Amino acid sequence: MLLGIDVGGTFTDAVVVGEDGILAQAKVPTTHGNLLAGILAVMDEALAGLEPGALRRVALSTTIVTNTVVEGKTDPVALFLLPGPGLDLAGLIPGAPQRLTGYIDHRGRETAAPLEEEVREACRSSGLELCAVAGKFAVRNPKHELAVAGWLRKYASPEHITLGSAVSGGLNFWRRVNSAYYNAAVWRTFGRFAAAAEDAVRRRGIVAPLYILKADGGTIPLPAARELPLEAVFTGPAASVLGVMALAAPAGEAVSLDIGGTTTDIALWRDGAPLFAERGAKVSGYPTAVRSFWLHSVGVGGDSHVRREAGEIAVGPERRGPAMAAGGPEPTVADAMIVAGLADFGDAGKAAAAMGRLAAPGQESRAVAGEVLAAAAEKICQAIAAMIEERAAEPVYRVEDILHGVRPQPKAVIGVGGAAAGLAPIVARKLGLDSIIPEGATVANAIGAALARPTLEITLRADTEQGYYTVAELGLHGRLPERRLSLADAERIAARHLADRAAKAGIPVTDLETVAAEEFNVVRGFSTTGKIITCRLQIKPGVTAAGREGGDW
Amino acid sequence: MKAKPFGLVFFPAFDWAISPSHPEREERLLYTRDQIVEEGLLDLPGIREYKPRLAEIRDAERVHIGVPDIASLITDAHLVSAGGAITAAEAVMKGEVERAFALVRPPGHHAMQVVHGTRGFCTVNIEAIMVEYLRRHYGIGRVAIVDTDVHHGDGTQDIFYHDPDTLFISFHQDGRTLYPGTGFPNEAGSPRAYGTTLNLPLPPGTTDEGLHYVLDEFILPVLEDFQPDLVINSAGQDNHYSDPLAGMAITAQGYARLADKLKADIAVLEGGYSIEAALPYVNTGIILAMAGLDYSRVIEPDRAGRKESMSGQAMAYVKALTQEQRSLWRDRERLGREAAARAGDFWQRRRGIYYDDSGISEEREEIVRLCPNCLGYRTIATSSEGYGTGYKTAFAAVLPRRACPACRAAAQDAVRAEKQRGNHRHYFIQDWDNDLLERI
Ligand SMILES: [Zn+2]
Ligand SMILES: [Zn+2]
Repeated sequence: MLLGIDVGGTFTDAVVVGEDGILAQAKVPTTHGNLLAGILAVMDEALAGLEPGALRRVALSTTIVTNTVVEGKTDPVALFLLPGPGLDLAGLIPGAPQRLTGYIDHRGRETAAPLEEEVREACRSSGLELCAVAGKFAVRNPKHELAVAGWLRKYASPEHITLGSAVSGGLNFWRRVNSAYYNAAVWRTFGRFAAAAEDAVRRRGIVAPLYILKADGGTIPLPAARELPLEAVFTGPAASVLGVMALAAPAGEAVSLDIGGTTTDIALWRDGAPLFAERGAKVSGYPTAVRSFWLHSVGVGGDSHVRREAGEIAVGPERRGPAMAAGGPEPTVADAMIVAGLADFGDAGKAAAAMGRLAAPGQESRAVAGEVLAAAAEKICQAIAAMIEERAAEPVYRVEDILHGVRPQPKAVIGVGGAAAGLAPIVARKLGLDSIIPEGATVANAIGAALARPTLEITLRADTEQGYYTVAELGLHGRLPERRLSLADAERIAARHLADRAAKAGIPVTDLETVAAEEFNVVRGFSTTGKIITCRLQIKPGVTAAGREGGDW
Repeated sequence: MKAKPFGLVFFPAFDWAISPSHPEREERLLYTRDQIVEEGLLDLPGIREYKPRLAEIRDAERVHIGVPDIASLITDAHLVSAGGAITAAEAVMKGEVERAFALVRPPGHHAMQVVHGTRGFCTVNIEAIMVEYLRRHYGIGRVAIVDTDVHHGDGTQDIFYHDPDTLFISFHQDGRTLYPGTGFPNEAGSPRAYGTTLNLPLPPGTTDEGLHYVLDEFILPVLEDFQPDLVINSAGQDNHYSDPLAGMAITAQGYARLADKLKADIAVLEGGYSIEAALPYVNTGIILAMAGLDYSRVIEPDRAGRKESMSGQAMAYVKALTQEQRSLWRDRERLGREAAARAGDFWQRRRGIYYDDSGISEEREEIVRLCPNCLGYRTIATSSEGYGTGYKTAFAAVLPRRACPACRAAAQDAVRAEKQRGNHRHYFIQDWDNDLLERI
């Protein structure tokens, strides 16, 4: 038995999933200001009559981190940078950084050493409870970041230090700086929330481990999440995508639509998995290294306001209230769905009146409804087309990929969310595709949270010419056992470190995959002197099939 | 109004090499990629990255005459790098970006109009293909190309040697000390385009001081005079002090300040083979400078202690050269008339051209009609011999833009007569007005 809770902007949903499917579900209004109250309320409601001791896992998708950032309630962070030569980040990053001497170059070589004296001097000032330290190319050699962190502990004993190389093993100093900063800035708030949540859950007799959903659709055990709380930002859309995966994972290419009250979140799928964003998420306008699914949001949903503009039906993005059928003031997409026989709630007469307001001279209300739904679906279709274009225009760096680059070609439309049944089939028809509206589509988000599997990733870079390898996420910079190394060898070493890291975090190792790999010969003076191999491995995000629960866990 | 972004076409061709240990190999832009991704340049709101399009064979044949044909001499990578230059240029022409940089490989500035193989790592001239694409599709008139590679841009010079609408300025390490051994002040264009080819052979060891003297005192004023519709920078980076193939002493700051002053509409990467010590920093500097961002912190980690000034003797040489070229530029019309008078009805030259990468040597004879009514048609008789390629020979007539009816007829006659004689294997007419490369 698994419990999943998704805190949304309006409602907090919970589902309990057992071997035969959904055992219970509950919905309460989200308690802004005290998220935990709503979480506990929905949990108690969902678990009423069930045995809490039988739960094997509790997974939580929460807006605590997102809200802290959006509401500007982050803590001040002392930011230390080792930027070396290059772009001046002043004005491009949050906070007022302290610039330190010391540089690691693109091969991970030290070209200037950091100075303890500088750090000691900086420690004379106050406000060093929360620190972030980021060095350029620290993912190629974290030694400077580690040294600076050591000196900070020695001279200032901060409560917490986030290292840039720990938040991401990928290149992009600017994003790692922003990630490290915000990770430290939400660390305390998340820690308090996590402690309170854990305490409340235990007091209810639940012994199962608590997991937190991440933006990349994976979960991590609560203790691990406390070190990297920024990973828990923007998890709502990820929960819903995972819900699609649990309810109707498409086999090939597809497009999924989460059609809610005012927006539709669109994801593209390949080989049964949603595509990831090529770049990290933005937090407070700052680009970060936080990985997430690639989603586009378009302002069309059941409550979208509908009117005529210059004779043409216009839909959204504004919401003026609920459907007229439900007592709202203006016509909505949901009213059109009721008139078209695609939804059944509220006062059908009022829905018809809503269509009447929009009718062209002599137009029947059913025809108006058809026109409204077609206009709403058209907006979604345009957004899907734009996503496909954007993917096709994504730069690639190999001739092979230019010649044989593949354009996404969805074969099916999967709809979840409150208004999916009304709109997704029309979108599908416009695209000439089949549509799938799975059972449980309205609580897909909570199901996604309940079933999401833990994930973890690491990046290994081996430089055989210099004889070392790094795993940035682990702060590891070690000698290579031998100079001859193949990509397969590198993947084996990476897999071993990933398994170790997973074991330490209490995560079962299932479904390892290499998400990126490259291999270059290093040639000096007309002969090959080594290889540079980089590979990124991850425990694949996904859902545990409720029926095979025991197998995966 | 918000300033337009800067466009970057980055294409490192990570799966393409001339041969495994050749300077043009997969690794060349690896460290540059590392640096620009690590700096976060591709995420800056003021920088927009573009995926290169694939150029078509006809884009290449608008400029080149391949023997036996271009398609059999190139790889797909060449169509991507030429396409990358076109993508950058179109982004500028459509007004999507203020200026753009095609940071692509393989390079092109040693590729001449007639192509028998690969020379100086180049097979097709990606800037020339781009320029003629813009003339065909966007009606661009006057273009200035400033070649800042350490090697003389002899291919670009060759293609535009007879074109008064294309100003080609190249500074480079003196050809007496470096490949391809050309690029002297007396190579100034054929009589009808005299002075629109300008060469500045600089002494080995030239520093930022010498380079910026030439830029400030000669190149920028000449551009001001010429009033081009577009300024193109053939942005080779092998003048860097660490380059293994040459002996100059330019720094990343020197290159970035050059990009800042030149304000080229479009830059296209050419050479640069100090792949670890120079390219990551030079490219970061050029990108920041072209994007209008602060580049003052882009300093190579190993630069400390290098001397920046030049010896008095070398600086005196640079100043004298600048003086000499200034008078050539000032007197270009008179000098062009005198050259035409000396030549009579036809101007001609004979050259041996050597393709180091393909192991081919070519003999080429070029004859330009000095027509009173147009720029004059020209004929090219070419033959080559090389390892694996055997003996190849061709005869071509080239009709320049706005060719007069008499020249059109004469060009046709010349090729047909030559074919009758049967001294060559392949016969072509390249017609620039009608955008046609015709096989006869
Ligand atoms: Zn060069
Ligand atoms: Zn003529």
